[in-house]
Amino acid sequence: MSTENKTSANPVIVERTIDAPVEIVWQAITDKDRMKEWYFNLEDFRPEVGFEFRFPGQGRKGESYLHICKVTEVIPLRKLTYSWNYQGYEGMSKVTFELTEESNRTKLKLTHQGLETFPKHPDFSPESFMEGWTGLIGTSLKNYLEK
Amino acid sequence: MRRDAFQAIADPTRREIIALLSKEALNLNTVAENFEISRPAISKHIKMLTECGLVEIEKRGRERYCTAKLEPLNEVAHWVQQYRRFWEGKFDAMENYISKLQAKDQKNPQ
Repeated sequence: MSTENKTSANPVIVERTIDAPVEIVWQAITDKDRMKEWYFNLEDFRPEVGFEFRFPGQGRKGESYLHICKVTEVIPLRKLTYSWNYQGYEGMSKVTFELTEESNRTKLKLTHQGLETFPKHPDFSPESFMEGWTGLIGTSLKNYLEK
Repeated sequence: MRRDAFQAIADPTRREIIALLSKEALNLNTVAENFEISRPAISKHIKMLTECGLVEIEKRGRERYCTAKLEPLNEVAHWVQQYRRFWEGKFDAMENYISKLQAKDQKNPQ
């Protein structure tokens, strides 16, 4: 049926080729001191199955959404999966990073599944988290790198 | 239970019903004939679809015709798009960070 891709609950898939060896990209997604430079500031992160971590996001009206995540799969330098949920809200999603090395560059594939299970009202939107975080990351990243 | 486009498309039979009706309006019996599951089961699915705003039923004489209303599906596409933009933004930041890191390493080889 041609309307299949319009109506089926597809995951979000984002692919990038990064001009760096796989070890660098793996570090970027698993080392908390590197993660805070582009992703989220975590108290701690360990790429180990069962490791739980939390971080806040801010909604459009300044309300706080706590992300609650738990690592479910680790293949070092190849794959990292964790659950991605919001405290106090229904729904469960899963984020998977997959890395493949190709002549000193890394193909990164991100799959985010289960988004259709989250509440849909406009305040609860990743866009509002993004406004908060990209601003923060843009400024702090700039400052960090230009030291 | 939620009654929105997301709820509607969660079920594979409902997705097939929407696909069928998006081509042409059909009466309830004709819809049911396309499936192996029972007529009452199909009726239940169509009821859910009308409650979710994806199907409208109008009486034409003694028959009830179902028409697909696809606008609510834009809501699904838009909402999922936001997550896509979120991740694209994060990876832009990651690429920036990594390339600056590597430039620094080249300046100060260890």
